Amino acid sequence: MRSLRVALALLLVAAVAFTAGPPPAADAQGQTIKIGVLFDHSGPFSAAGSLNCWRGAKMIIDYFNERGGVLGKYKIVQVDGDSQSKAEVAINEAERLLNVEKVDILAGVYSSAHAVPLAEKVDRQKKFLWITTAISDAVFKGRNLEYTFRPQASSSMFGELSVQYIGAYTQDRLKKAPKDLRVAIIYEDGPYGAGVAASNETEAKKLGMQVVLKEGYSVQAPDLSSLVTKLRAARPDVLFHTGYNPDITLFLRQAKEQGLRVRAYVGHGAGHSQLDKLKEAFGKEVEFFHTVDPIASQLITKQVKPDAAKMTDEMVKRYQAQFDKATPVAAIAPHVSMGFNNLWILLDDVLPRAIQKHGGWSADALAKAARETDIPEGGTMQGYGVKFFGAGHPLRGQNERAFPAVFQVQEGKFELVYPKSVQTANPVLPLPASSPLGIR
Amino acid sequence: MIDPIFLAEAAVNGILLGGVLALLALGLNLIFGVLDIVWIAYVDLVMLSMYLVYFLVMVYGWPIWLGALAGVGLGVVLGVLVHVLIITPILDSPPINQLLATGGLLFFIQSFATFLWTTDHRSVRLTLPIIEVGGMFLSFARLVAFGLAILAMVGLYLFLTRTYIGTAIRAVSQDRGAMALMGADPQRVYIVTSAVGGAMAGVAAALLSIQYSVHPHFGAAFGPITFMICVLGGLGNMVGAFIAAFIMSEIISVGGVLWSTEMGYVIAFALFIVMMFARPGGILARRQ
Repeated sequence: MRSLRVALALLLVAAVAFTAGPPPAADAQGQTIKIGVLFDHSGPFSAAGSLNCWRGAKMIIDYFNERGGVLGKYKIVQVDGDSQSKAEVAINEAERLLNVEKVDILAGVYSSAHAVPLAEKVDRQKKFLWITTAISDAVFKGRNLEYTFRPQASSSMFGELSVQYIGAYTQDRLKKAPKDLRVAIIYEDGPYGAGVAASNETEAKKLGMQVVLKEGYSVQAPDLSSLVTKLRAARPDVLFHTGYNPDITLFLRQAKEQGLRVRAYVGHGAGHSQLDKLKEAFGKEVEFFHTVDPIASQLITKQVKPDAAKMTDEMVKRYQAQFDKATPVAAIAPHVSMGFNNLWILLDDVLPRAIQKHGGWSADALAKAARETDIPEGGTMQGYGVKFFGAGHPLRGQNERAFPAVFQVQEGKFELVYPKSVQTANPVLPLPASSPLGIR
Repeated sequence: MIDPIFLAEAAVNGILLGGVLALLALGLNLIFGVLDIVWIAYVDLVMLSMYLVYFLVMVYGWPIWLGALAGVGLGVVLGVLVHVLIITPILDSPPINQLLATGGLLFFIQSFATFLWTTDHRSVRLTLPIIEVGGMFLSFARLVAFGLAILAMVGLYLFLTRTYIGTAIRAVSQDRGAMALMGADPQRVYIVTSAVGGAMAGVAAALLSIQYSVHPHFGAAFGPITFMICVLGGLGNMVGAFIAAFIMSEIISVGGVLWSTEMGYVIAFALFIVMMFARPGGILARRQ
């Protein structure tokens, strides 16, 4: 028995050593830029979009390195960190990347629960942080961060847009005046969910809607049946939901089993945007559900400038070759674009200016270059422009030109339904009776 | 004021949730009662059996009942393997070493599952009817799970009280040293106990598969609450764990409707802390 245990232990060590792979390449010539790429490779956030963000980031770094690096001569060394879907691990990994690996730039961060504590800590160390994904306003609000920048849209933009979308169709499709519309807001109780929910509520009240329930829950809760019961008691017409996964899967299962009926179901990014995962769990039942997210770049190639559209072709080609051949192009999650596009902005716009105009890639040079970024609408792969709020603004560092859009699942794929200027399909409202949440 | 029908629905949902929690807690408590070791990784063994059910049913097209039986079988095998490979060498080690070993197993299982199956969530998709009784909506999956959980617990009770090896298990749980002095083989009792505990994990896996997605970190949702129920009921006390499971699930469910979802959990955890001060041995423990 003892020898069996020893053999098993040796086998395990060998397996781990074999799968660990070679160490990262050394910075041999002093002409390399070290970028710490921090996402969640394990834990619940991984499948809720974080891994897809990392894939996007890796692909754009590979793309630049194949062309000699930034400005064709400064190669990028990518050093990965795994936040493991835990805030304390994210902070430790950031410390490791910055102070042990000595990266020049820290980039990525999927979860707002990680970004909020992280941003202040990194900024205090006068290190440059480039947030590609986490959306909470609380990352910046009132903090006057000098070295933290986010090209991604913010949580208030998400929460306002989804309510404006419903407001635009209340009379026409839901056959009710806004003042008679009953809306409920549920959310995971971290900074991401709470941030979106707060702006949902503010916007709904601004439009005169009745907020009949607003309630948070823990993403780890093993049971949400009491929340479903409360929702049934509150009888909302529209349900706004912000969550990750598996919480949204659990909620939708229990909502269906407990007979929750609404006229529209609107999610906000994260788990709601992982269409392949939702379809695996619910099949065609996800038809006509909504999500809010920055636009996946492959859906708007005609509305963006040619060089941005060319990068989208590159992203799609690489994604299918390296990660997932089976997913149709339209269904590639927007998180892949967030990683790819938002890092492209750094590598193609900010870094070259920092090097050429401000003398290198120190945090001060990068921050100066970022403050000068001025990309007009249509200039990035996801359609938005880039200009960061400056000193004195409560959201200093946030991209003021970013915008999300509302998507709806139609015939198994996401269609853009709002704003009307980028619409690819008419929204289907209210939810038809064939939907498990539709009113019979 | 909330309509009483919704309160009644919450109470029924609490009972249904309690059935599954009780099943999880009984398996863990049975092992603790006999071996005096807490298998921190218990719910992660459940997760492994859930993966087997998922692959057999969704990938290989097995009927759910057959997949469930295979899940129970895997639970038995895992229970024995964990005992032989990990528990046996540390049986007489200090409790902190035992906790570290089973905690290490937890991280190993989670990482290994991530390595093998990625972090994707996988669901056994079954079309089950929705039951409406007097304005209350009840989950068919939960009703089935509750019924089978109760059956499994009755089966465990009969096994422990009506069979020779069951009696031996109870005897070892009362006095580990005395059994060996009487010529009985404690190792055999330990292995059977681990197998039965593993089987309970397998039954729980089969029942949870039809209600939840499986993913490598599944244990994070059910692990802490299962452990708390065991402690609240009294570690090793089967009846206490059974009652504690329903107390916790009712507080979560009814408290969630009366106040808020978060508050339901806050009250349940606050009660746990208070009880640890008032009755550290569990709700059925005699006062010291």
